[in-house]
Amino acid sequence: MKHTRKILSLLLALMLACSLTIVSAGAETVELPRNETLYFAGQQWGSINGWNPLSDDMNNAMGITQDAGGARTIMYETLYMYNMLDGSLTPLIADGDFVWNDAHTEITVKIKPAAKWSDGTPITAQDVAYTFETNVKLGNAKGNGYKPYVESVTAVDDSTVLIKAMLTDAGVAVNPLQLVCFLEECYVVQKAWIQTLEARCSNDTTAMKNDAAEDVVWSGPYTKYFANDQKVVLIRDDNYWGQDASMWGSLPVPKYIAHVIYADNAAGQSALKAGEVDVCQEFIANVQDLWLKDGLPISTYLNEAPYGICVNMPTAWFNLDIPVLQNASVRKAIAMAVDYDAINQNAMTGQSPTFADVPRSCMNPTAGEQATFDHDAVKDLQWVGNDIEGAKALLEAAGIVDSDGDGWREFNGEKITLNSCCPNGWTDWMAAMEIVAAAGKSIGIEITTEFPEWSVYQTIVTATTQTDYDIFMMWTDSATPAQPWGRIRMMMSSEFIGVEGNWSGNWGHYSNARIDEIIKAIPTTTDATELKNLYTEAVQIYLTDVPSFSLMYRPNKFHAVNESVWTNFPDSTDGRNIPPTDCTDGYGIAALYALELVNP
Amino acid sequence: MKNTLKQVFHSPKFLVGFCIFTSILLMMIIYPLVNPGNPLEMIGLGTFAEPGTYVSLYDSVGTKTSTLKLDGADVKRIDQVLSGEDRVNMLNWFTADSIDISGLDITDTDTLLAMWKANFDPSIRLQGMTKAMRNYYIRLNDNINAAASADILTVSEIDASTGETVEKAEINKTDYVNVGDVANVKTLPLGTDNFGRDTLKELVSACGTSIRIGLIAGTVATFIGLLLGLLGGYLGGFVDDIVMFFTNIFTVIPSFVLLILISYSISQDQRGANTIAIVIGFTSWVWTARSVRSQVISLRNRDHVNLSRLSGHSLMRIILTDILPYIASYVVMAFILQISSGILAEAQLSLLGLGPKTTDVPTLGLMMNWAMLYSAHLNGSWWAYFPVILTIAFISFSLNLMNTGLDQVFNPTLRD
Repeated sequence: MKHTRKILSLLLALMLACSLTIVSAGAETVELPRNETLYFAGQQWGSINGWNPLSDDMNNAMGITQDAGGARTIMYETLYMYNMLDGSLTPLIADGDFVWNDAHTEITVKIKPAAKWSDGTPITAQDVAYTFETNVKLGNAKGNGYKPYVESVTAVDDSTVLIKAMLTDAGVAVNPLQLVCFLEECYVVQKAWIQTLEARCSNDTTAMKNDAAEDVVWSGPYTKYFANDQKVVLIRDDNYWGQDASMWGSLPVPKYIAHVIYADNAAGQSALKAGEVDVCQEFIANVQDLWLKDGLPISTYLNEAPYGICVNMPTAWFNLDIPVLQNASVRKAIAMAVDYDAINQNAMTGQSPTFADVPRSCMNPTAGEQATFDHDAVKDLQWVGNDIEGAKALLEAAGIVDSDGDGWREFNGEKITLNSCCPNGWTDWMAAMEIVAAAGKSIGIEITTEFPEWSVYQTIVTATTQTDYDIFMMWTDSATPAQPWGRIRMMMSSEFIGVEGNWSGNWGHYSNARIDEIIKAIPTTTDATELKNLYTEAVQIYLTDVPSFSLMYRPNKFHAVNESVWTNFPDSTDGRNIPPTDCTDGYGIAALYALELVNP
Repeated sequence: MKNTLKQVFHSPKFLVGFCIFTSILLMMIIYPLVNPGNPLEMIGLGTFAEPGTYVSLYDSVGTKTSTLKLDGADVKRIDQVLSGEDRVNMLNWFTADSIDISGLDITDTDTLLAMWKANFDPSIRLQGMTKAMRNYYIRLNDNINAAASADILTVSEIDASTGETVEKAEINKTDYVNVGDVANVKTLPLGTDNFGRDTLKELVSACGTSIRIGLIAGTVATFIGLLLGLLGGYLGGFVDDIVMFFTNIFTVIPSFVLLILISYSISQDQRGANTIAIVIGFTSWVWTARSVRSQVISLRNRDHVNLSRLSGHSLMRIILTDILPYIASYVVMAFILQISSGILAEAQLSLLGLGPKTTDVPTLGLMMNWAMLYSAHLNGSWWAYFPVILTIAFISFSLNLMNTGLDQVFNPTLRD
């Protein structure tokens, strides 16, 4: 009996050990030659759901990213490639520059004769038209996003696309800027493949959006190779049409593009430091220490601070559904008291121009956007930050005082208590909110920080109304052809009030009839002086009413590279005009064709 | 009582624990007197200033100078910017630029520098050289130029009214100032944290908060445990069944998971240090209740208890005078352990971002949380987290030592 028990327990232990080994050995891996693979970090989080470019929830950052700041064109391609450095559009599938008609309501685009799908068939104007129609039919992000601006996309002949703008009652384009965005943001998908998909899904839109698209036809230089919960790998398509002399003239250098799926930023950064990652799209605190202190072969696009091209402004929004925050003096006082230099140094570790360098407005720090408005006209409205006395004086003048002597100011007889919120784990935002809270304390307004999980945070912030968060952070648009108009709309347009699931902007629910007029007028204004006046007035309103206040300037994509294996990444001094968009986005993909091995 | 205390203090373990704990408490009282002010004040711009003494550069320019002619000052100055590795890299540059380096001795600084100055050109792009390397050489060149610049530096000021530069001071290579003469000197023994706060000041303050959290959590847990244990153990029957039912439920649910869930459900602006302490207390009473109950059961039928019961004494009186004194030593020991685990629980919670709200008071856990969020462990800023870990270790070590010491005194089986 005793023996049987012993043997039984031994057997059980053996079984357990065996099953454990089987489970751990079950995870398949691919070995990639290091000097043929370009490794990324900071783009892909979690495992992918598929390769369907018509779907919004493939969670496939490397394969499918359609962003107006520059679409990722390694597997699917757009008509043009956006270059945020100078705002130019370089033809990709398109042949030569696009042409506006005289009324500025239609764009004609030619298709490159060399452009081919991966199955060898030519890319035609019908593909472009059918992709747009399908996007609208499916109601996906690109379809819904462009439906209000693009009336139709039609094929004049096989190689000519005509894009008609949605017109206002007055017969002008609702927003010609968005038409230009369309050219560089939306992928072109093969019509024949979409029809295969439609047949497979019996034209059911939900099924079409959920399809993993394993049989997809692509046009870009790379295609899917391997993906599991640890890694996503794309392999070069050596038949890529772009090696034609009319496009790149060669294939991109790395044979594989790989993205290991890291648990968090810290893991990605460790890998970058170890040379396991070549291109890192993550905010790295004190990035200069990597080369100054650690002596690692890591560099950024700019050699000195701010190290990257800052194109957007993470912004703190005041919730105007909260009575005390409906008072503009309170809003402005809080904004004046915040120590922006501390945010710059602590949250961004100096990787941002200061507000002394680039005074606040709705525009990003690039020269093009800064030139759109009259700086002198808004000079008196500016504040530098950390102006405790000024903020106190403003509050006193508005009658918001501490009448019961407890050190905190009251509004309508009640102590003002606010919270400042951002998602948990978003370190730089969290630090910024801490500094905002400290500013409140110094002017007698109690502000406490609150860091909910992102899943909770996003539902509350995008709700029709909310009273949970008083001061909260959200982003603003990066550089796109539609800026700075898009950002002004995002910051102040009342059209977003009352929208359920509002991801578009004005999360504080600010409303001002004049700014709505300006937002409507800007896209159709062609006279330069008038346009400048409109932009200036918008900034004036923004700085007077302070519906939100920007805390820092930030790059759209962080771009730190480790030159252990690859070199010749884009650099601000190399004169190539390739933007630091991680060698994948917009015209940044040009970098892939120029990479060199450090030790060939 | 006096005798017991004497016995307790004769235990070497207790004594060591007591001394460590008292010195931490003393530090908490004395240090704020030496270095007063708000511990959460952000004094430094930027993250993680290294520990050391910071001398105001601005003030030292105007300070009275003494001339000191020290041997090897120039060498030190150069060595500061030119390490052995740098010298080898300079050779590599010469080689890459196909410059004849035969007979060059890299320890011969003058020749090396002369050769460097004659040959280095930042605009040259050498074949196969990475951008990181090119930037490195440019930085090296800048540093060498700065260190080997003219003998006299001039400090000048821009006149606000005329816009002209006016010479303010000249600095010789042999000028020295006495640190005592400089108006503004700040010593930061543990540098600054990610917000530019004085880490030591914050640590001392956090230590106080964490001990307070431990005390509150310990008191709550001990109180609940004691109450339930006494009632269940003494009354038995139905009451015991109910008490054991709850105790068993709480035993099988991992208390830390419960703690996380409760903290998560309290919104952050409501989560003060005291709230967290009470929550910790509410989730950690289980073991106290169980052991108190079992001890009470063994006491329940002792003769003196029965006698007391026969004499018609009330329930309260029997528990307070006939039972509690017999388990008091155990309860005190359990209390000490509860304090220690309360402090640890706060640190764990804060590390997960579920600790007290961050703008109020510093706690040991919050300090570690921010250090981790700012990857202090990756970028070598040890002063932001290591002293915190050490402090937590010392606090719980001293409390555990005291507990073991007490155990040796009170537990008959362990008595010498």
